[in-house]
Amino acid sequence: MIRLTGAAIALAFFTPLVFGLLGSVIPAFGLMPTIATGNGFAELFNDPRFLPSIWLSLKTGVIATVIALLLTIATLVCAHGTRLWKFLIACLPPLLAVPHAALAVGLIFLIAPSGWLVRLISPSLSGWSRPPTDWVIPDSGGWSLILGLVIKETPFLLLTAAAQLSTIKVDAALRIGRTLGYAPARCWSRLILPVLYPRIRLTLLIVLAFNLSVVDVAILLGPGNPPTFSVFLLSIVNDPGSRSVASAGALLLALGVGAVYCCVFLIEKSISYIAASRRESGHRGTAMQTFRTIGQLLTASIQVISIVSLVLLLVWSFTRRWRFPHSLPTQWTLDHWNGRSAEFAAPLLTTLSIAVVTLLLAIAAAVAWLECERRGSVPRLDWLWYIPLLIPQVTLLFGWQAIALLLGADGHWLTVVYAHWVYALPYVVLLLAVAWRELDPNWNHAAAVLGAGYWKVLLRVRIPLLIKPICQAAAVALAVSVAQYLPTLLLGAGRHQTLAIELVTSFSGVDRRIIATLAALQSLLPLLAFCAALWLPRFINRQAA
Amino acid sequence: MNSLKIERLSVSLPDGTLLCQDLSFSIEPGGVLALMGPSGSGKSTILSWITGTLDSRLRATGDVWLGDTRLTDLPAEKRQLGLMLQQDYLFPHMSVGQNLKFGLRGGSKADRQHKVEQSLKQAGLQGMTNRDPLTLSGGQRARVSLLRTLLSNPNALLLDEPFSRLDVTLREQIRHFTWNHARHLPTLLVTHDRADVPAHAETIELKPHEPSQPQVSFSTIDSTQS
Repeated sequence: MIRLTGAAIALAFFTPLVFGLLGSVIPAFGLMPTIATGNGFAELFNDPRFLPSIWLSLKTGVIATVIALLLTIATLVCAHGTRLWKFLIACLPPLLAVPHAALAVGLIFLIAPSGWLVRLISPSLSGWSRPPTDWVIPDSGGWSLILGLVIKETPFLLLTAAAQLSTIKVDAALRIGRTLGYAPARCWSRLILPVLYPRIRLTLLIVLAFNLSVVDVAILLGPGNPPTFSVFLLSIVNDPGSRSVASAGALLLALGVGAVYCCVFLIEKSISYIAASRRESGHRGTAMQTFRTIGQLLTASIQVISIVSLVLLLVWSFTRRWRFPHSLPTQWTLDHWNGRSAEFAAPLLTTLSIAVVTLLLAIAAAVAWLECERRGSVPRLDWLWYIPLLIPQVTLLFGWQAIALLLGADGHWLTVVYAHWVYALPYVVLLLAVAWRELDPNWNHAAAVLGAGYWKVLLRVRIPLLIKPICQAAAVALAVSVAQYLPTLLLGAGRHQTLAIELVTSFSGVDRRIIATLAALQSLLPLLAFCAALWLPRFINRQAA
Repeated sequence: MNSLKIERLSVSLPDGTLLCQDLSFSIEPGGVLALMGPSGSGKSTILSWITGTLDSRLRATGDVWLGDTRLTDLPAEKRQLGLMLQQDYLFPHMSVGQNLKFGLRGGSKADRQHKVEQSLKQAGLQGMTNRDPLTLSGGQRARVSLLRTLLSNPNALLLDEPFSRLDVTLREQIRHFTWNHARHLPTLLVTHDRADVPAHAETIELKPHEPSQPQVSFSTIDSTQS
């Protein structure tokens, strides 16, 4: 029975991944004539948008990832152990909870020609009494997309790195290194980062895959002509007769991401070779306070940009009148929240229903899997859970959609929930696994000695003891589900209007204040979930006491 | 070699509790001073202050001198004080030889290699240059750790319970190894085990929650030469 449960979970998780890949590969070569005819590659290569969009994706994805990694390292080196570090770490969970698209909208409100930054300096410093026309957001070079990806992905990398620091005795390494005469930055580069990097490598690859293939943020912040490669593929996937071209593109995207992974490994090897020889040189380096201060300013400014972007969402959602160049609204209103409540109710309910079912299924599957693992009936699959996050969403979902079309399952609510579950489960399993494996087995033994059977031990001992990480994992599952745009769009066949879908599709044509309200609403759901995850364990424990 | 001198050191916790008050002592080259006391008496905190790595939440006043050089305001990396902790902290991403080279200051590549091999030989660890530290025994790791500290050419040696994690048979062997290698340096030993203290050492007893008690009377201790 236990073995069967484990097998069922693994099957449910990995089957769509296999079918997703097959569903992209087969139509690309014209082998699925019912939905795609002809060889897609030739047509794709002849499309004038092909090369420019590939180049744009590569440029934005790689530059954003490199900057996010450098900022993470700068934060560790310049801020670790300071008050700024505590502030940054405290800011991470809420920033991570906010969906990418909502943060992108907030960023536009900040950096656009009519955005808050320009308003702050207008007209007194800039002389502008009307929004300048010198630049537009999104810009044609993709720099606003890069900034959007950096402010969203740096906290993710930083949180992963911060979680690993406690396992590598960073304070002792710094102390030893400094008493041996090495400057603090040298201690980081020679003692801590070489040990830390392998532990955050998978997260870095996930960030890279995301940045190279993101769709919703690229629609909001990326240029339109040419768009990024993923957005280009999305624009043609539902065109009649273009399925094979889109599938060929999706396959190329996956291969491209794979090639970039190989480049990362090669760069890693080279850096590691050079670093090993420099470690032996004995050069101590000099502590440079100026660099430290610049690093601290940079890392703090990234967090401040995120926070201000979120605040701007809220401000715009309560704005009645905010004319340029005023730095604050001149008239406030609750109308966008009250008056539009009927309009927002449907996407809100759809979002919530999908998210709640997703989180319940993800928690149930994760607990079942970890219990199977604890009892030795399934192996540890840690890195395999990362697969859906390492393959571009476009590749998997195009294939998944093709299979769903063949089976007549596209557009079903359950198909959408299934897709959300596949993307939420890795986070839930990996978050819960640490606590689950660390729980002292003597708790089980103590309960068993008192006559409790397996289910009683699980429900009355293990789960209550692990309620805190379970609640946190549930909040993460909800946040992941609320943010899902592409799975809902492709597998929902346009029938399930979630907040993410509403926000992205109505962005360019709807009043800024309504968009802000939608984005704020989308951000509030995961934020409330995280608050509940903090409060619920205390409440449950109090009730139990 | 110069003497290590501590003048009027007072350390307090963030809540204002004093860990030590007006503690002063001096250690001559070759001398050993043992700071003894139970857990929580502030022994390791004093060592952290001397090395310049005291937790920023703690408040400390006083001066640390190495001969005529005032170290108090220098960052940890400029003080050139050797530190050994309870754990050996051999860096896991470096081989034994690389760990030792990490401690060495200056010299050509060939010089550095020669020094590493020579010191390993003297410590009875010849042929272990390329070994992964994880494959060494506890005693071998402790010796490599001390060698790394000594190869950095420290002006004084600070030992924070370096023998406490070793088993009884190894302890005596490593104590002997340490005192033999540290015989030209002023050495400050923090321990709660009297057996760790060599016969020629002076001792200061620290008592928790009595910061102004006995140690104040040790305003200056000149440890004797062995």
